[in-house]
Amino acid sequence: MARKECIAMLLAGGQGSRLMDLTSKIAKPAVSFGGKYRIIDFTLSNCANSGIETVGILTQYRPYQLHEYVGSGRAWDLNITGSGVSILPPYATQEGGAWYEGTADAVTHNLDYIKSHHPEYVLILSGDALYRMDYREMLKTHKEHNADLTIGVMPVPWEDASRFGILTADENGQVTKFSEKPAHPDSNLASMGIYIFSYDFLVNALEEDAINQRSSHDFGNDIIPKALADGKRLFVHAHHGFWKDVGTIASYHETSMDLLGEDPLFDLFDEKTPIMSNDSSRPPHYIGPDGRVDDSLVANGCRIMGTVRHSIISTDACVGERAIVEDSVLLPGAIVKNGAHVSRAILGENAVVEEGVKLGSVDTTKDTAVVGNDVVIGKGE
Amino acid sequence: MMNTKAIGYITANYAGNEPSKLLENRPVAALPFLGRYRLIDFPLSNMTNAGIHTVGLAMPGNWRSIADHVGHGGDFQLDRKIGGLYTFPGNPYGTTKRGMRFLLRDIISNRELFERSDAPYVVVMGANIIFNMDLNEVIDAHERSGVGITMLYVKAERKHSDASRLIIGDAGRVQKVEPGCEYGDNKFIDCFIINRDLLLDIIKHYANADYLDFFEAIAGDMARVDVCSYEYKGLAIGIFGERSYYERSMELLAPTVYDQLFQKDRPIRTKAHDAAPAKYYAGSNVANSFVSAGSKIHGTVRNSILSRNVIVESGANVTNSIIMYGCVIKRGARVENAIIDKNNVVPENTEYRGTPDAIMVIGKGTRL
Repeated sequence: MARKECIAMLLAGGQGSRLMDLTSKIAKPAVSFGGKYRIIDFTLSNCANSGIETVGILTQYRPYQLHEYVGSGRAWDLNITGSGVSILPPYATQEGGAWYEGTADAVTHNLDYIKSHHPEYVLILSGDALYRMDYREMLKTHKEHNADLTIGVMPVPWEDASRFGILTADENGQVTKFSEKPAHPDSNLASMGIYIFSYDFLVNALEEDAINQRSSHDFGNDIIPKALADGKRLFVHAHHGFWKDVGTIASYHETSMDLLGEDPLFDLFDEKTPIMSNDSSRPPHYIGPDGRVDDSLVANGCRIMGTVRHSIISTDACVGERAIVEDSVLLPGAIVKNGAHVSRAILGENAVVEEGVKLGSVDTTKDTAVVGNDVVIGKGE
Repeated sequence: MMNTKAIGYITANYAGNEPSKLLENRPVAALPFLGRYRLIDFPLSNMTNAGIHTVGLAMPGNWRSIADHVGHGGDFQLDRKIGGLYTFPGNPYGTTKRGMRFLLRDIISNRELFERSDAPYVVVMGANIIFNMDLNEVIDAHERSGVGITMLYVKAERKHSDASRLIIGDAGRVQKVEPGCEYGDNKFIDCFIINRDLLLDIIKHYANADYLDFFEAIAGDMARVDVCSYEYKGLAIGIFGERSYYERSMELLAPTVYDQLFQKDRPIRTKAHDAAPAKYYAGSNVANSFVSAGSKIHGTVRNSILSRNVIVESGANVTNSIIMYGCVIKRGARVENAIIDKNNVVPENTEYRGTPDAIMVIGKGTRL
């Protein structure tokens, strides 16, 4: 195969257990987000918009809907013969087979895939955050420093720094220290879990890690600390813009709400870097004679007969007559029946809230209410 | 399941018989419909939903909009190794005869499609009359009846000068096809099933009369050919000009009508776009309307249909109107009883106002 400058490996196999009911039957990257998208769309669109045309997608947990959704990669212009997207699940060999045991282990299992493309650089991504990024800029940083490894970082408020993997760098951006969730951070640069490796270094690091029995085979826990200890050239590339992990119910809800408003923190409408998705060809949505929609996103195929305020109504979701939906996210096909009242809730795909039922509370000190996919909430539940 | 019984043939090369700004640069088949669709999506989706994987498409002279929309047929599941979508140049304007959409010359020039297939039947459709039908039911009925041709019709609900009516005799046999139809007539919905061998015979037999419409050509031969009729009981929407376009579109605002055209098990497919979900801003006020993806609504919209990427600024008011792709209704503007074609800007504080009897039509704009 022709040599490629940079290929991407997208880690999409995690369970996303902190999304609880939303990922009980579906992998996190395939969870619906923003009305018509799935979480993986944002990373795949970044790849497409950055001109990266080879993307290996590593899957493991409940993968079939994710596989079906990615398909040939056509939706992201990534159906390219000889490159494009490749789905990379765990596999068996003559020596047996094994699950992916950690982020680094997953990539190690697919070193043959990487080698077949002869890349100079390998971009490691995860499919669970909402952001726009031109990976070419990061690659430029990597090349300028002649780095072995460049880590995408995001300046976070100092008071939040203890929740992240924090990188300390010198004035040239060279990493001097990596601390996982430090109690007393000396830097506010949080790792975004985005890495660019020079090919030779990646192959060596993974092969060494694979035979280290004390390793948990994780990029953050094992590969980065070892590289630092070995005196490798690690640099940071700072991202200044919106970036949010959507890995918990609270962050999923908060990030969804960030899409709303006059001047949203994340603008889905930016035409220069479009968010591409595997569109479902559903008709325009219908707002009924007594429908009322205010400060919301409404996707195709919806039918809104009641009131929707400050909410995201995904493809084919329905809001019945006299029903009220506020500060909530309705995933595809969710139904709020006549007279029901849903506040600060996330309704899973095809979930149903029966007539007259009251769900959730506008009280922000309480947890966001979550209804799993296909679950029906009747009276008294 | 792949349909091994039938291949498809669609004529997309017909202009309207009424002059209209909406049809200056596009054939009827490319007319945008209900926000995100074009009329051609309906015959193509009916074919695809019946598992038909080989479809010939007669292209009009001004084919740009159809070619852009349909491409290689990927969005219609028709980019296939075996079969697929075959576009070919049709007569630039089809035939201008009223009610006729199957020019024999186009069928003849597409002969190879029919010769190469080994499916026993061909499903033929126009694009002016749209519906969402399980074609396999009709193909099965045709097969059981053992006739040469089965023509589909509905009981006409109104007068149509640009549709054809079927004169039906004993045992449902079609005796004549006549231009124009009145209330209660058997309105031909521009869809028929024909035995492929019979079609090849007719092509050979009537080669010298290729300037005729298919049903004109065989008019004297209906009994021998054995033409049967099939009443379709579902919704069939005929679009023949501005008036029918406006009225039929508005009727879809009733969910009971809409539900007959859009059914989840038989999706209407169309070209995919990456438009974001429609965004409603604080203070927007929308009722009884269809709104498509990519639109941004600040103002008021009533009884209207908005296509993709339409912006309604605050204080603007859109009532009883159809607004096509990429239009901007500026602050304080008012649009009522109007059809605004693509890429128009309605300036601030202006009024574009028609009446229910005289809909205002604004042709394509130049906004990029």
